[in-house]
Amino acid sequence: MSSRRSSRGAISDEEINELISKLQSLLPNSRRRGSSQASTTKLLKETCNYIKSLHREVDDLSDRLSDLMSTMDHNSPGAEIVRSILRS
Amino acid sequence: MAQSGGDVSRHRKAHLETVESLCLGLLDDDKSRAMFGYLQEWPDLGSMCYPNASLGEPPLAPEASNGSGSSGGGGFRKRRPDACLVTKGESNSVCKRPRGKQQPCNPDQMAAAVGKGKTERARAGAKKKAELALPKDSPATSASTVTAGQKTDYIHVRARRGQATDSHSLAERVRRERISERMKYLQELVPGCNKVTGKAGMLDEIINYVQSLQKQVEFLSMKIAASNPVVNFDIIEDLFGRQLSQAACNPAALAAMAMPIGQVEPSCLQMSPLPAGSPGFGLEMVVNNNPYSPAPGGAMSVPAGASVESCLDVHGAAGWDIGSQSLFTGFDAPFQPVQSDCLLDNLKMEM
Repeated sequence: MSSRRSSRGAISDEEINELISKLQSLLPNSRRRGSSQASTTKLLKETCNYIKSLHREVDDLSDRLSDLMSTMDHNSPGAEIVRSILRS
Repeated sequence: MAQSGGDVSRHRKAHLETVESLCLGLLDDDKSRAMFGYLQEWPDLGSMCYPNASLGEPPLAPEASNGSGSSGGGGFRKRRPDACLVTKGESNSVCKRPRGKQQPCNPDQMAAAVGKGKTERARAGAKKKAELALPKDSPATSASTVTAGQKTDYIHVRARRGQATDSHSLAERVRRERISERMKYLQELVPGCNKVTGKAGMLDEIINYVQSLQKQVEFLSMKIAASNPVVNFDIIEDLFGRQLSQAACNPAALAAMAMPIGQVEPSCLQMSPLPAGSPGFGLEMVVNNNPYSPAPGGAMSVPAGASVESCLDVHGAAGWDIGSQSLFTGFDAPFQPVQSDCLLDNLKMEM
């Protein structure tokens, strides 16, 4: 990821900046005030952390859901909803 | 979650630091080599990182590297350019340019990365033909090792052969390498990133992945909420964080949410795009007083705030290959501009 690409013109710096700000917008902690220009390294680090936390969250929710599914009454309206969601 | 989050973030930080330190050892701008070496060079990288761990001669600085490896934890240290120059001059007799970056690495992190770096270092060393005389560097190394334990923000960088040695270029190079290292780390995190090269492509992949993860979290949360036919406000508050207490200070809204939870859930899937100014829906995971904007506050609100807009972006994510593809494609049908049912209208109005 050196500057060679930009010199070749294959990927413009502008695009990259755009992507970076888009990524920044996805992160939960991006400050809104003035949208301070975060250093790219910090941004990437935040992204790593965020992705990991999302992973954990997905795992956690999946576990919870599987527990719920296993324990709940199959005829309950809740179960039906979940099934429909899964089916759709 | 918060606690685990804290733990994880600390671990992540440590891990990243190590990753960073290890990566910084790869001074080459050769992307492929760096990437390859990245995978290979980890633990020894720390030892070799040491100024002069002449590439290709890793065993030469055993104590220095070990010391530095064990000291770990510190930040980077930036060596003054004149120091680089001096060293360079000294080593000119032996080799062309000093090369090496000095990084304190966490010993435990190094353990994880072990084995990978050596090959890369050897290759790099061979290519570089810059071998710094060890003895010269040992004192510097040990000195830096001693200080490695202290957390500093300096980055030790050596000028490479054929490169400018002024501080700006060095700083720029350091910065680039850091970024590159982080990008590689992200590449490992994000599946499917290996096939894409180039910053823009990777960033694009990463963005898509983050969005799909957010949606996935949202989806799972919805399912969990749906599977509780009786509204358990504790659960909902857990899911939505403080958003709910903010948004639903209106008891009528709460009651409305409470009632036909069964009805609301599926209709949530059919939520039409919210007008920018409309408040969140509560049950629909978007309990957001603010319109979805780039920075929804709070970690929990992110999946919640992966707003309706991003829900509607499912079409884009439908192709995402994360194993839950079927789930996401399943969203396509419900996500149509359907009129919200009256309940949701009530929610909207009340909020």
